[in-house]
Amino acid sequence: MDAERWKLVDDLLQSALRLPAERQQEFLQSACQGDAALFDEVRSLLTSHHKAAASFLEKPAINVAAQSLAFSQTQEIADPLVGQVISHYRVLGTLGSGGMGIVYEAEDLRLGRHVAIKLLQESEPGKSKLSLRFETEARAISSLNHPNICTVYEVEEYENKPVIVMELLEGETLEKRMKAGNIPLIQLLQWTIEVADGLEAAHAMGIIHRDIKPANIFITKRGLAKVLDFGLAKLSLNSESAMVTQDAPLTSLGVIAGTTPYLSPEQIRSDELDGRTDVFSLGAVIYEMATGKRAFAEKNTALTINAVLNKYPVSAADINPELPPELERIITKALEKDRADRYQNALEMKADLQRLKHAVESGLPIAAGMTAWGQRSRSKVAGQPRGFRYWILSIAVLVIVAGVVFGVFHHRALQLSKLSANDTIVLADFDNSTGDSVFDGSLKQGLSIALSQSPFLNIVSNRKVRDTLKLMTQPPNATVTSELAQEVCQRTGSKAYVAGTIAALGSSFVIGLRAENCLNGEILAQELVTAKTKEDVIPALGTAASRLRSALGESISSVQKLDVPLREATTSSLDALKEYTLGGQAENEKGPSAGIEHYQRAVALDPLFARAYSSLSGKYFDAGESALAAKAAAKAYELRSHGTDLEQVQISSSYHAFTTGDLEKAAADYERWAEMRPRSPSPHSSLAYVYTQLGQNEKALSEALEALRLAPSGEQFINVVSAYIALGRLKEAKATVADARAQKLDMPINHDNLYLIAFLERDHATMEREAAWGLGKPELEAILLYSEACTSSYFGELKESRESLKRASASAAAEDLKEAAASYRADGAVHEALYGNSAEAERALRSVPIATSGQDVQAAAAMAYAFAGDRSRAQALTDNLAKQYSENTLVQFNYLPVIRAQIALISKNPTQAIKLLKDAQRYELGQPAQVISLNMYPVFVRGEAYLASQDGASARAEFQKILDNPGMSLNEPIAALAHLGLARAAVLQGEKDRAQAFYQDFLQLWKDADPDIPILKQAKAEYASL
Amino acid sequence: MQHTGKTSPHGEVSALLQAWSAGDQAALDKLTPIVYRELHRLARYYMRGENAGHSLQATALVNEAYLRLADYKRMRWENRAHFFAVSAQLMRRILVDHARRHNQKRGADFPHYSLEETVVVGPECGQDLVQLDDALQALARQDLRKARVIELRFFGGLSVEETAEVLKISAVTVMRDWTTARAWLYREMSGKPSHGC
Repeated sequence: MDAERWKLVDDLLQSALRLPAERQQEFLQSACQGDAALFDEVRSLLTSHHKAAASFLEKPAINVAAQSLAFSQTQEIADPLVGQVISHYRVLGTLGSGGMGIVYEAEDLRLGRHVAIKLLQESEPGKSKLSLRFETEARAISSLNHPNICTVYEVEEYENKPVIVMELLEGETLEKRMKAGNIPLIQLLQWTIEVADGLEAAHAMGIIHRDIKPANIFITKRGLAKVLDFGLAKLSLNSESAMVTQDAPLTSLGVIAGTTPYLSPEQIRSDELDGRTDVFSLGAVIYEMATGKRAFAEKNTALTINAVLNKYPVSAADINPELPPELERIITKALEKDRADRYQNALEMKADLQRLKHAVESGLPIAAGMTAWGQRSRSKVAGQPRGFRYWILSIAVLVIVAGVVFGVFHHRALQLSKLSANDTIVLADFDNSTGDSVFDGSLKQGLSIALSQSPFLNIVSNRKVRDTLKLMTQPPNATVTSELAQEVCQRTGSKAYVAGTIAALGSSFVIGLRAENCLNGEILAQELVTAKTKEDVIPALGTAASRLRSALGESISSVQKLDVPLREATTSSLDALKEYTLGGQAENEKGPSAGIEHYQRAVALDPLFARAYSSLSGKYFDAGESALAAKAAAKAYELRSHGTDLEQVQISSSYHAFTTGDLEKAAADYERWAEMRPRSPSPHSSLAYVYTQLGQNEKALSEALEALRLAPSGEQFINVVSAYIALGRLKEAKATVADARAQKLDMPINHDNLYLIAFLERDHATMEREAAWGLGKPELEAILLYSEACTSSYFGELKESRESLKRASASAAAEDLKEAAASYRADGAVHEALYGNSAEAERALRSVPIATSGQDVQAAAAMAYAFAGDRSRAQALTDNLAKQYSENTLVQFNYLPVIRAQIALISKNPTQAIKLLKDAQRYELGQPAQVISLNMYPVFVRGEAYLASQDGASARAEFQKILDNPGMSLNEPIAALAHLGLARAAVLQGEKDRAQAFYQDFLQLWKDADPDIPILKQAKAEYASL
Repeated sequence: MQHTGKTSPHGEVSALLQAWSAGDQAALDKLTPIVYRELHRLARYYMRGENAGHSLQATALVNEAYLRLADYKRMRWENRAHFFAVSAQLMRRILVDHARRHNQKRGADFPHYSLEETVVVGPECGQDLVQLDDALQALARQDLRKARVIELRFFGGLSVEETAEVLKISAVTVMRDWTTARAWLYREMSGKPSHGC
């Protein structure tokens, strides 16, 4: 095919594959436009694609090849045993390998005959002598001599491992024979009769096989069936191990690996066994020979066990209609759950098989129920077993199995690499085979909450999973199957993924968790738990999750310390958990407010569901419903004791940071959170922000740096830049912006930061450039216009400032940022009042919706009124603020002291003012306002109060403090007025020369100022009178 | 007289790998049995005492084999992609050779116990590595890049990203190539007599 045509074929195939399967054919027909050859070519590829989809080339070749490599005999390398002499056997070569060991061909040096020898694997390395019990068993086995049993000549010992010396056979196993194609009925019956005959002989000697399966039935070249490995299931275990008595069949037969669905129910229950267990297994083998399908084969061990215990296989005749009904009856009777209902021995079964074979051979009609045992009705075949008396038992068994699985994998996990502190994991969606949709999503949510209690496990966030799915050209809301989880895990550089299953078992449920290394498929941990009722599912899941945590390597003390039962951590209501999960999904798909109704329903279903209140609060907050948000947050806070330790801290921190405003408590919560999750950046970036507000700028910087170190992002860079600016470390601030840009983590707000840095460096060109950059940028225009307005005010150019503020306010309003728009106008009023334009300040405030605005607007308005001398209005706002924000650190200890002190100054009571400002001392280097700059007002007003009390030295110290912290006072008007304050203080101190210099500084700063500003006129007059 | 000393396996393998990646096909012939022997030895070591069907450590095994044999750090690969590409080719060669030998032996007259069939590429009998290798050669004649995608991912065990890195194409293209190539190979291999059955 030429390249062009091949490309066409490729493109058409890819296009077709993007369509739903039922439309692909139609698409191809129209696309190929009568080019039949093209159509055939693409269609055949499409067909191959669908056939290949499930498994072809699915796993890397080495995964499959490794085992073969391990056991293969090669020219290059011989097994070390080959050529060796074991007892009186010379090992000639390897024959193959089974689950229990490697099989060699060997020469019996005494008798000259060739034999097969099998080296059993050690069940417990290091155990020395084979036990007495082993020898007894071995003797019994070697006494079996029957044409349908592979004869064991003797049992030897080699390096403390049992060596079985047996008859060398030529042929293939039934397992392999079945793969080659259907077995004719007569042949089937003949082999089965032979196997039953062998079983009968062994049972007569009290030897039970325990592991009858196609791989253990050998068909010789002459067509004779021989049972292999008699009694080895038992022998392969060390009899002194506790496992023998408790759950030997399970471990030895590989139930855990899920490869042996031939166990009898009593084997699963670990009952004392008799020959009827082999009858059952033979029944399962016949079923498979007759139908080509396993009688009990479910997708995982738990389900297979459930099927063996509680389900009848699909009628064999439904799969293979040609089967005589009598054969189906024989199978059914052999597969009875209760061994009392089964063939009581292999002889009975053999007799029925022989009768049937005879009838088939002689062409006699074969009627169902031709024998007296035919009372078991057909209807039961595919139906439920009688009653449910097994399910209680089966749960007990499953618990044992879970214990075994846990034990085994836990043991292995200790030897293998487990997770380490920096590994992340991905959660897959649960495979829910119950048919009850309440488990969809909710279990994964529950698991996520349960596992996130662990400081050890880092779960890849839902957002990252969705982003990765997008990269994989999957819909972001695709069900994360194990396969997808594995790929997401690899793509996100995670170590492992955790997949869960839930299945119904009678009226109870089996929940399985499996953690798998996504790079090599190694199973790191596996848990299986049962829940008797639906209500028990959440607690059971919590239990499984806790066990998984320790199996993955978390220390037991950590698991015990941080293990709030899942029911308490979330909700005892599955329906509420489901709504909560749907809320999260709705948010992802339709935006934040879409989650609200689900969270409302979740809290209606479970009024104690703290986490749902917390989410509800966040979404209300995002939707601008601050009152409802506060109410929900308060509720979450009230109920927080129901959450996990971490969740309690998270709920508490949000409640204090966003609802009460008690930032000291919020900081303590964030500190605690950071302690609990040393690798999580969020508490550190929250701390950086809170410390900035509180004025602990060094601490803010170190937290911001820590957050940046943990997870570099644009936001973290901003926090670092802001902290450097606040500390006046401008070079480092600029270098950090450059770093962010180099890492492509720049954010628009950095333009404002660069503007402010340029202001502090008096770099007008850069200021202009950055300001111009903001024009027309929706999210930034208002911010930069505000910065420009402040600069204008700082230089006394009030007209320009008013203009910029008006534009900033309009720009914010256009973005529907009402609070910001009001803040800009209120701050404008502060500037006017500070400069003595009282009337202008009052006029400006008339357009500000003070009462309905937040703390910053109310405080700015109150300050403007107070600076303008309007005591009553300032007082009214103060009272309101004090009441409305009773626990708010910034209002109580920054804004209110400033406003109250200024009111005291109006009343000519500077002593009172100074006293009031003591409250603010701790926070005076904080940044209390969100979008505007109201920094260092406590210092400024204190300076004014000292001036009023004629204390020049103290006043000078305060104003100097403003100038010494340029990163805080920035381009605020008080930074300019501080020069005037210094001048006035110097006058009070009688330092005329100094005073003159300070006045000159101020007047120089204001050389281009609007000439009619009252405070300018006043300053000029004071300077003149010196 | 110059003293050459003993060549360590590290040095030997590294030198052979270098020579091969520089185009010396004879080096590959020398290299294959060494890597194969090591793989084989490691596989035996790992599989002992494990459940049948336990293929969990297979990938780890390959990595370890390479690490043991080739002094990865000291070797001068052009880049990571180069190393991957060479590994995938080598792995293909080894696994296919192994399968081929195994197939020949299967005709022999001795009983096979329940040895898992050599390399089951897909669920159906007969799709084995030798056939895949032939089909892959045919595909390479039609579309070399698609054949290399299969080689890197299936034999080299590379992820989609790594494959994209090696071939300097996008991950989406890798997935596309993978899909088409897989369908093509499946079609090529079905309906042909199998080696194993």
